[in-house]
Amino acid sequence: MSGAAVTSRPATPASDQTAAPRVARRGGILVALAVLTAVALPFGVDAYTISLASTAIVLATLAVSTQLLTGVAGLPSLGQAAYLGVGAYTAALLGTTATTNALAQLVAGTLAGTVAAALCAPLVLQTRGTAFLMVSFAVAEMARTVASKWTDVTGGDEGLHLPPVTIWPATAPLRGDGYLYLYLLACFLLLAGTVALLMHSRLVLVLRGAGDHEPRLRALGHRVTGSLFAGYAIAGGLAGAAGAMLSAAHRYVSPADLGLETSALALLAAAIGAGSMRGAVAGAVMVVAVRDLLGAETGGHALALLGLVFLLVAYRRPATAWIREHTSRRPR
Amino acid sequence: MAVTYAVTAVDGVAFGLLLFTVAAGLTLIFGVMDVLNLAHGSLYLAGAYVAYLLSRGGLLDWAAALAAGALIGVAGGAALGAAMRPLARFGHLEQALATLGIAYLAADGYTSVFGGAPLPADPPTPLSGSVHMGGFRYPVYRLGFIAVAAVLALALHWAVTRTRPGVLLRATVADRAMAAATGIGTGRVQTAAMAVGGGLATTAGVLGAPLLGPAPGVDTTVLVLCLIVVVIGGAGSIGGTLAAALMVGQVQTVGVLAAPTAAPFALFGVLLVVLAVRARLAVRPT
Repeated sequence: MSGAAVTSRPATPASDQTAAPRVARRGGILVALAVLTAVALPFGVDAYTISLASTAIVLATLAVSTQLLTGVAGLPSLGQAAYLGVGAYTAALLGTTATTNALAQLVAGTLAGTVAAALCAPLVLQTRGTAFLMVSFAVAEMARTVASKWTDVTGGDEGLHLPPVTIWPATAPLRGDGYLYLYLLACFLLLAGTVALLMHSRLVLVLRGAGDHEPRLRALGHRVTGSLFAGYAIAGGLAGAAGAMLSAAHRYVSPADLGLETSALALLAAAIGAGSMRGAVAGAVMVVAVRDLLGAETGGHALALLGLVFLLVAYRRPATAWIREHTSRRPR
Repeated sequence: MAVTYAVTAVDGVAFGLLLFTVAAGLTLIFGVMDVLNLAHGSLYLAGAYVAYLLSRGGLLDWAAALAAGALIGVAGGAALGAAMRPLARFGHLEQALATLGIAYLAADGYTSVFGGAPLPADPPTPLSGSVHMGGFRYPVYRLGFIAVAAVLALALHWAVTRTRPGVLLRATVADRAMAAATGIGTGRVQTAAMAVGGGLATTAGVLGAPLLGPAPGVDTTVLVLCLIVVVIGGAGSIGGTLAAALMVGQVQTVGVLAAPTAAPFALFGVLLVVLAVRARLAVRPT
């Protein structure tokens, strides 16, 4: 069956090759428009919408991290909130004790997330599929428990407050919602650019291959284990960066920030994106809009609305496959 | 001092057996369907709310609550199994999202109907007293719960290891394709496992309501603890699940009493050690 798939492949690119530049150009224009809208946002909307947009940026970063595992490497992760938590607490501790420098906090959060993911990787990566989902979720819940009980360091359930971040050593701290939002957007664009480069790398090709058919890739002699390890650590670093952004945005971190809901919404955003990074970002914006803008109109039923989105995304592929099966028969 | 520990240890056994009853359903569903049922906590909570609605103090009301809870769980589990069927060939992500969606809808439904405050679910009056245990007054209901849950665990173990449906179940867990090739109706086994798993969760909810009562958020608490039990105990194994549930029960009670700061780390440590040991034993994924 897979042999047939390989031999049938060369037939399709002929039509793809002419279409590819046009699609890429259209995608580029869409991304440019989205970035322009995002930059112009604080000049046109109220403070509440800006704070929602900040939340969406943090979730989008976490969704990109989740997508690298779920959509690219085929490992459905329900535990990226753990590394978000590691990054957020690292940045917050740095903010309260050492420096309010935004860049230092971002770098520290990213590094801490990477190291934490690298430490967990040998255990978590023993599993695939549903077992991976379970183990990643269990590790995240353990991280949340530790955050809520290790009172001396994390402040327990009361959480940690931190002073506003500063962009440059001598400048005024970032207090205004608009400035804070622009800072978060800059962080996000930096990370997104890095990920865009990464997506063209050999590593991501191996990860995609491992997600599609791991034994085949192993048989071809690729170093799948090492690649998965690197991918997992990078995803942890991205989640850690999202954590540092979260602590800068809220000036507060608590165990509630790394609960099941955070991981679940990031997974939902990634699933909306169906394997693509841009899709995951759009998915994160959509999730926040559904929960906080549409959900506010439902009189306290935002959870049900999110539940419906979860089900819609879950049944999207089966439904389209069913429709295709039942419509393609008629012409014959 | 030693008596305090002994009494707390009994509490731990009760809590552990409660976790076992819910987690047994979760591990059954995982073993047979290869689905992580993220709506499992919602089923427990359904049972707890049934206990709140139907229990009026009499043993008969309580039995009615138990029967209603089990029925709801069996029906809910079977419905969940039917909902998972079309997703099976699309992968684990879709199934996880669908069960999450159901859990979100259920959580919203519970708060809409029952409000956001924790509700009382008292044990039936004949069991609501307490007995003397080394100078402490210990609730009779918990002792009764331990007895009932222990019987349930034994019955489950017997059913899985000694009966024909149990054999079919184990065959399906071990190798679904091979089981289907030998003529086992694996689809029917899967539906039955989902129904029994759901029934176990709601039954645990009715029985456990006086211990861990109906309140928003309990669904996530139960789901997380059961998940840890299943991961430690090994998927699809009733004995492993029982041992892990009793251990988690002790850590959550005696551990918290003896070393309040170290207990959560202890659970994390056990999880990591178990994963590391299993990683060494496991065959490389192929």
